[in-house]
This record gives sequence, structure tokens and C-alpha cells, in this order.
Amino acid sequence: MNMAPSVSNNSLGIEKIAIRNVTKQFQADAEERGLALSKINLSIYPNEFVSIVGRSGCGKTTLLNMIAGLLRPSTGDVLVNGEAVKGPGPDRGMVFQNAALFPWLTAVQNIEFGPQSQNMPKNERQLLAQELIELVHLTGFEHKYPRELSGGMGQRVAIARALAVDPDILLMDEPFGALDELTRAEMQDELLRIWEARKKTVVFITHSIFEALYLSDRIIVLSPHPGRIRMEMQVDMPRPRQRSSQRFMEDYEKIHNAIF
Amino acid sequence: MKRSTTPSSDRLTRRWTILAWPDWVIGIASVVALLLLWELAVRLELLSARSFPMPSKLAQTLWTLVTVGFPRGITAWVHVQATVLRILKGYIVGVTLAIPIGLIIGRSTMLEQMARPVITFARSVATISLLPLAVAWFGVGELTRVFLITYAVFWVVLTSVIDGVKQVDPNYIRAAQILGTSPSQIFTRVVLPASLPRIFAGMKVALGLAFLVIVAVEMIGTIEGLGALIQEARTFYRSDASMVGMFFMALFGFALAKGLDLLEKLLLPWATGLEEVER
Amino acid sequence: MKDKTFSRNLWISWLGVLIVLLAWQMITSLQLINPSIFPSPYQVAQAAFERVSLTELMEHVRASLTRVIFGFAIGAGIGIFVGVVSGWYRWLGKIVWTPIELLRPIPPLAWISLALIWFGLGESSKIFIIFLAAFFPVVTNAYKGMLSIDPDLLRVGQTMGLQGLRLLWKIALPASLPDIATGIRVGWSLSFGSLVAAEMLAAKTGLGYMIMNAREQGEISIIVYGILLIGLLNLLTDNLIYRFILKHQLKWHFSTQPSS
Repeated sequence: MNMAPSVSNNSLGIEKIAIRNVTKQFQADAEERGLALSKINLSIYPNEFVSIVGRSGCGKTTLLNMIAGLLRPSTGDVLVNGEAVKGPGPDRGMVFQNAALFPWLTAVQNIEFGPQSQNMPKNERQLLAQELIELVHLTGFEHKYPRELSGGMGQRVAIARALAVDPDILLMDEPFGALDELTRAEMQDELLRIWEARKKTVVFITHSIFEALYLSDRIIVLSPHPGRIRMEMQVDMPRPRQRSSQRFMEDYEKIHNAIF
Repeated sequence: MKRSTTPSSDRLTRRWTILAWPDWVIGIASVVALLLLWELAVRLELLSARSFPMPSKLAQTLWTLVTVGFPRGITAWVHVQATVLRILKGYIVGVTLAIPIGLIIGRSTMLEQMARPVITFARSVATISLLPLAVAWFGVGELTRVFLITYAVFWVVLTSVIDGVKQVDPNYIRAAQILGTSPSQIFTRVVLPASLPRIFAGMKVALGLAFLVIVAVEMIGTIEGLGALIQEARTFYRSDASMVGMFFMALFGFALAKGLDLLEKLLLPWATGLEEVER
Repeated sequence: MKDKTFSRNLWISWLGVLIVLLAWQMITSLQLINPSIFPSPYQVAQAAFERVSLTELMEHVRASLTRVIFGFAIGAGIGIFVGVVSGWYRWLGKIVWTPIELLRPIPPLAWISLALIWFGLGESSKIFIIFLAAFFPVVTNAYKGMLSIDPDLLRVGQTMGLQGLRLLWKIALPASLPDIATGIRVGWSLSFGSLVAAEMLAAKTGLGYMIMNAREQGEISIIVYGILLIGLLNLLTDNLIYRFILKHQLKWHFSTQPSS
């Protein structure tokens, strides 16, 4: 069921990310037949929080990687700000499920990494890093190494690190998947807070329908073999959302049925 | 393990790049290419034939070694057999001593603490340096050689047995205790099996070490054995015989390692995916 | 409380050494083994101080250490270079790897024959053997280290705008450092062992030579002295290297459970 996306809370109608008729063949040496992604058409608007949900193998990560510029579509276009994506870059920050912090650097050094690569002067980037540490509520842990941080803390550093180069777009691949449920709930609120403070466009992949409903403006459901958009749903509930509300449950049902 | 896919490696032309060919094809191709270049270089006199005998000559020498032998009468088979037997004898003795002693030491914290500095030092002693001493004690016969292999193998396996016993996941022991197992039973039915992978890792390292030591040891006082072969080749400036000897060493070094791997898979099929412990 | 157990542990450690020394002394005092081939600790010490002058000893130690440090530096240096480059440029790695794997099982000392033909009787032949001993473990570990880098770390770098050699230098190398360090430790101990063997077979100076010379002169005590000295030197140098590596990596690598 492919509903045309209605213009969301940013009524300018200018797409931040445009995915036009994209298909992706599986890599030459993969065993599965068929397409990873087939005829994907998707528009994402500035400052929108979009979640992509679907079963394993539906191509969510592939799609994200294409927006990031780590993969090229087999056919079709991926446009960011109207221009074709040519490769990865600091305008699209990424956060991975396993945080992927540089283990040889402290938390603050991890955050400073991006700015340092862009030759930001030392004072400036130290100030920036400190600001971000405070934003993600990790004051006091600046000089800890990743091995000394818990899962939730690690993800906060990962988010701060991604934000340090001030990307317009945040691409998040199941960032809370490895966390326990309590920490996960906490991190969801943290993420919303940061998103509202910093105003970024977020594309968020998750396995959890609950998580998607709690966080997003819009949810895209992908189905596998081949990967295509099964359903798009606008989530109109005001934040903070009640996970137990009637509306929440109804929307959950709709999405659940679309997936299974 | 793939590196992150970037657009450059995502080309449809990937099929035609080297990255797509299976490893073994490229492996064989590069070795063959090297041999051909070598042969060519010697024929064109870019390399001296005395220092770098042609692969074709090496093939001849290999044949001679297998049939007639070098020195005359001692064929490749005799050499290999001598070396392998020595390793085997020393290895078996070393392992047979190290495992029980290691288990006893590993079980007692106090013994382990007492033994540790001694073991550490004994391992630091270069086995080959013991050769003159061993000769003074046992003469120039086989016993000396087997003794040295035993020495090298013993300390390595001992260390890994002790470590294996000490580093058993305490959760296994707790689980057994909760199930009402007696301490001695815990040792035989939990600690022992749980430490086997580590012990095996040590045994693999020990085998590699034994191989290194035997080659050195065979260079003194004997004419049978791969090390002795190299030494003979040295005396007669036969770089070709040297290389063929080295080839046999590579072959059997590889075979021994694979043999142990196979044995491990047979005996410990449940312990897959263990990290290699490189000493 | 902690100090008590620490000093107690120290005592117990030295107890073991003491027991061995006493046993040694007892065996010789009771003449259980022919004293001409089994000198007592006292005899060894006596031989050490009287029969081998300090200058002579220093000469041997200097010769040995020079060789091994030289050979090791070259071997490890080239090993790291080849390992890293082969790991980074996969096509190169595939080509180069098989010849290296085929040569690796050959004990370094087995090359002595060729080394003497190629380099003559001088220092180069010995250094070549030591070079080989260091090269193979280092190159193997460097290569494997490069191959096992978490790909997400590289992706993060790419999204920060790093690519090519900058990516290698800033991310790949630090990430593979622990494996390289392991290779260095193994390489050193192999180098040391090969040094002794090479000196025993084909040298006129050095500790290995000292032992062989003592044998020809029937000086068993000096043989034992030499053996112990070599063992001590090996222990000390390995300890130094380990401490050096530890100092740089302890902070971030040796993982413990993260604080939660």
C-alpha cells in the first residue's frame, strides 16, 4: 500500500533527501537471487524524523548506505539537497549499532576526530567537543576510553561524534539495538531531546515498531525479496508520546500487519 | 572480512578485477609467475646460478634427492623420517610429562605462584644453547637431540596446561557446584575438558617450536635429517640441495601443522572458533 | 590488606626459585651426577667471575645485541610495511600472501646455508637469519590485523571525509596496532632464538659463540654461565618490549568489563 507522502511539518516541500526509482542488485558474489531493493521512491524533508522498519533482509541498511554514499544504486538516483550523492561526506553523519568508537581515543578525542580531520583549530574543537559532551550528558567522562564506557554511554559518544561535524542529516542504523530495554528507553528520549535542540534530518533504522512509533514523524515499512516500500505512515501524535495510548496501539497494529 | 564497500569497489566491473578471483587461483598464479621469472633471470644471467639455482635445476636435485640421495645413499625419505621421528619422540615425552605436572600445578594457587618464575626463566633459556651441555651429558647421539626437543616442548605445553586450568570460566564451575558435583569430579568433568582448547593451542605452538629446534640441532653431529641435509649442503656449497631441503621443511612444517589442526577438530569438535594463541 | 597479599605473593614466587637453586646445590654437593659435567652454582659463579673477564663478556654481549637489534629492526620494519600495505590494497595482498605463507614454515636457521653463500661469512649472514625470524611473525600479524579491522570504523572515517592514505594512517593503522604489537613480541623471541643458533654455528663473537668455544675447551661451567646469561637477557629484553607496548596500549586496549 503506497500512500503518497503528504508534505510534513516543513511545508516548503523541498526535499532534503530524494530517492528516485532506485534499485539495487545484490553484490556479484552473493548467493541470494533477486534484488536487494526494487523501485524505491522516497522523499524525506528537512528536519523530519523518518524511521525505516522491516524484517531482516528487506534492504534497510542498504538504503541507508546509499544515502550515506557508501553504496551506489544499480539504477535510479539518490539525491541530497538536489544533488546526486557521489560518496560519503561530513554532511551525512552515521551512527552504527555497535557505536564503532575508535578504541584508541578517549571519548572527547573521538568527538574531536571529525573536526580535526577538517583542520579545525585546537581551541575551537576542544570547545565544541566539550559542548557536545554536555549535550549528550556525559560530563565527567571525557577522558574515558571506550572500553570503560557502558553501551549507552558509548552510543552517546557516537552521536556526539557524528554531530561534531555538524551534518544536516543523521543516518542511524539500529543504534539502540544492542542496549538493554531500560537504557534503550532512556536513549530514545535523549535522542529526541538532541534532535529537537539541533534540528537535523534523521533517518533511523530499527527492528522495533515501538521504537519507530515513539520517535518518528513518519514510518516507512519495507518488505523483503525484493526490498520495496510496503507502507508509509504519518505519525501525528504529539510528543512526548504515550506508549500505552490507544492511538499508539492502533498504529502499532497497522504497521505490524503490514510487516507480517 | 570485507572492507567497507565504497562506490569504487561497487563497480559492475568488479567481476573482472583481481579482487573477485578466488584466493587459491591468485596464489598459484603468483607462485608460478615468480618461478618463471626466476628461471628467466638465471638463464639471462641476471642472477648467478650458484646463488640462485634455476627452478628446473631444483626439480632435478629434488629428483636426485628422492632417488639417489644427498649425501649419496641418504634419500629424502631417510632425512624426513629421521627428523620426524626425533620430533615425535621428543614431543610425546614432553607432552606426556607436561600435562600431568601442569594439571597438578594449575590446581594449586600456591604451587603455581612458586613455579611461575622458574617456568618463565626456563622458557627464556634458548633451547639451542643447551646443546653443548646436552652433548657433555649424553654424548652426540639421538638422546641429546630428543632431550632438547623434549625441553622445548615441555615448558611450552606446561605453561598452556597451567593457564588452561587456571582460566576456566568460573561460571562453569559454579554451575557444576550448584548441580551438586564434588570438587574432584568438578576437576575431571569440568575443568579438564574446559581447558583442553587452550592446551591444544599450546601443543600447536610447541610443535612449531620443536620443528625450529630440531633443524638447528641436526646441524651438529649427524648426517641424517633435514637440518643435517642443510648442513651438508653448506659444506659443499650446494645451494640447490639447500633449497630442496628447505622445500621439504616447508612441506612438512605445513603438514605437521595441518595434522594437528585435524586432530584438534576430531578430538574437540565442540571448540570451534577459538582465537589463535601465539605464545 | 592488599599490601599483605602482594608481599606474600612475592615471597612465594621467590620460594620456587630458591627451591630450585637449593636442589641444584644439593645434587652437586651429594655428587649425584658426575661433577665434571654438572657444576655447582658456586662453580658456575666462580667461572663467571674468574675465567671470563668483564671486557670479554661485554664484547660478546655487544656483538649479540647489535646483531639481533639490527636484524630485528629491519625484519620488523619491513614486516610491518609489507603487512600493512598488503592488508590495505587487497589485490596486492592476494598476490603477495601465498609466497609468504609458503616460506613461513621454513625455520629461519634453515636459511643459513643460503645466507652464507649469498652474504659470505660476515655479519650480514647472521643478520639475515635474524631478519627472517622477525619478518614472518610480524608480517603475518600485521596483515591479519589489517584484515580484521572493524569495517564500521573505516566507514565512520569515510563519513568524516577521510579517504585513501589519510584513512589508512588515521584509522586503519591505530586499529591494527594491537595485532602488530603481538607480532613484534613473537618476532623478538624468535629473533633471539635464531641469534643464538646462528652464533653457535657461524660466528666468532657473541654469546652463542662463547658457549661453543667453552665446549671446545671443556669449560662446562662457562657453558652453564652462558646459558643462564642468554636466558636472562632474553627475559629482560622481552620484559622491556612488553612494558613498552603495555605503556602505550594499556590505556585503551587491554579490555576489562566496561563500567555500567
